[in-house]
Amino acid sequence: MDEQTVKRVVTEWLDDNYHFGDAATLIGGDEDKSFLQSGILDSLGFVKLILHIEQTFSVEIDRKNIVPANFDSLQRIAAYVCSLPGARLSP
Amino acid sequence: MNFIEVESFFFLPTAVILYWLLPRSRLAQNLFLLLVSLLFYACWDVRYLSLLLLGACLDFAIIRFMAAQTDDQPRSPSRRKVLVLSLAFSLEALAYFKYEGFFANSLNALLSNLGLTTQLPVLKLVLPLGISFYTLQRMGYVIDVYWRRIVPTQSFLDFLLFACFFPQITAGPISRGGELLVQLEKPRLLTPGTLADGAVAFLLGFALKAWAAELIGTNWVDPVFAASHQFGRLAHVAAACGYGLQVFGDFAGYSLMAIGVAHLFGITLPMNFNFPFLSKSLTEFWRRWHITLNRWLFDYIFTPLSTSRGWWRGRLDLALLLTFAASGLWHGAMWTFVVWGLFHGLGMVLHRNWDERYRALCRRDRKYVRLRQSNIYALAAWAVTMAFFMTSLIPFRASSLAVAGAFVRDLAISPGPDRVHVSFECLASAGFIVLYHCFDLPKLRRFRDRFFAMPAPIRGIAYGLLIVWLALKVPASAGTFIYQQF
Repeated sequence: MDEQTVKRVVTEWLDDNYHFGDAATLIGGDEDKSFLQSGILDSLGFVKLILHIEQTFSVEIDRKNIVPANFDSLQRIAAYVCSLPGARLSP
Repeated sequence: MNFIEVESFFFLPTAVILYWLLPRSRLAQNLFLLLVSLLFYACWDVRYLSLLLLGACLDFAIIRFMAAQTDDQPRSPSRRKVLVLSLAFSLEALAYFKYEGFFANSLNALLSNLGLTTQLPVLKLVLPLGISFYTLQRMGYVIDVYWRRIVPTQSFLDFLLFACFFPQITAGPISRGGELLVQLEKPRLLTPGTLADGAVAFLLGFALKAWAAELIGTNWVDPVFAASHQFGRLAHVAAACGYGLQVFGDFAGYSLMAIGVAHLFGITLPMNFNFPFLSKSLTEFWRRWHITLNRWLFDYIFTPLSTSRGWWRGRLDLALLLTFAASGLWHGAMWTFVVWGLFHGLGMVLHRNWDERYRALCRRDRKYVRLRQSNIYALAAWAVTMAFFMTSLIPFRASSLAVAGAFVRDLAISPGPDRVHVSFECLASAGFIVLYHCFDLPKLRRFRDRFFAMPAPIRGIAYGLLIVWLALKVPASAGTFIYQQF
């Protein structure tokens, strides 16, 4: 699993569910931009994103890891998902 | 003692001066702050100091026990047992002191309705000051250590101070270990901004709480809620909206004072209110209002439930209802608060489902995206959010569900004249809260930034004038605050 794939999947999900084609513009090339602080996602959205990531990459995210340090930006999500053993795109 | 009482105006400056005269060592500073915190709490009621200290000692023993367990499994049986012990102690103390009367009265009413004469005794206990706040703060820390989100502190002194730190113990903000405890682990240095920023936050908070909230409450809110049948519709609307402003001024003001006081000691507490009346949805509102409580509820109730492996997984609506019911019950041991919490839970569910449906429209046609980005949509969303919040405050403010029902009925039938006390001071205090929000709007923010960029003497004159104004205008009754009772 490479980081680019994760970033693409997350951006597509943001587009499909929240920003309808504007996700890349909102992120604006800054992959470290905080989702929460910039309003890209809210707390409900985070839960939905986590459920989506678990389903899409066939992983189980431990509760201790559900923290902004792992999910608050495109780069952090990509780095975290790639660090999970067995992460792969579900068929 | 709280920060509005006269004693604190002697207590605080003395404590600040002595603190900064101490050697710049973590040990000396923390020991001093702990003594000040215990003294502050003992000034209210020395008996409940033992409860505070007992809970803190137990939780420290538990986090050290967890730290000593070196196995890879964070949820090993022994760790789980001590977590349950910690949570049981905290929740039982809360249940006993805060909810005993509520549960006993509710059960007695149920028994009476069933025709049974058996009645449970109702103990009239004094609610330990700040119990709802310091309990959540400690619980959050212990759970984080259990989940291994943080490395537990080794210092008993630091942990005790984290659990008892006096600026926040009465009414929050509810801090995380990563916010407060890490600052206590190193010595604080006096910088030019330390005292100035703390004093400005304190002054602004004092103006919101002791002047604006107090005036609005006594003139627009209290008379109508006391005898709603004597007032017309306009007075009811003014009372509900006024209460929204009052409770904001009261609690955001007190939070700012707590943040300001902590800053005087070189410690930064988390923000508790972020201009909530600018919110354009209920979800946004709860990210801006009582931030530290709501993130606690989302971190430790909503998210674990909705991402669990069990039945709750993905059941966002039910998790929202439960989370907000818990929020209501946290606010007070009365059915009015439970109704208020459920009302907001239902509002969040409705908003979430509306949002889902609207997003489905956006997927089909981009004109809905453009509509959503328009000023008209923003204005409508803001108006609906504010109307919902102000309506929800009727049960929140009412002394019972019957009073809330009477208020709603009188709002509908308008039984009395539309008497609303309108004076310059009342309008100025409401305007102060409105302006406070307006200066965070993107187009007006530059004026606020320009003020803070002015030379210190000019800002000093402005603050001086505000102090004189407050000295002349703060009502003598401004000694208590709403969230203290929670």
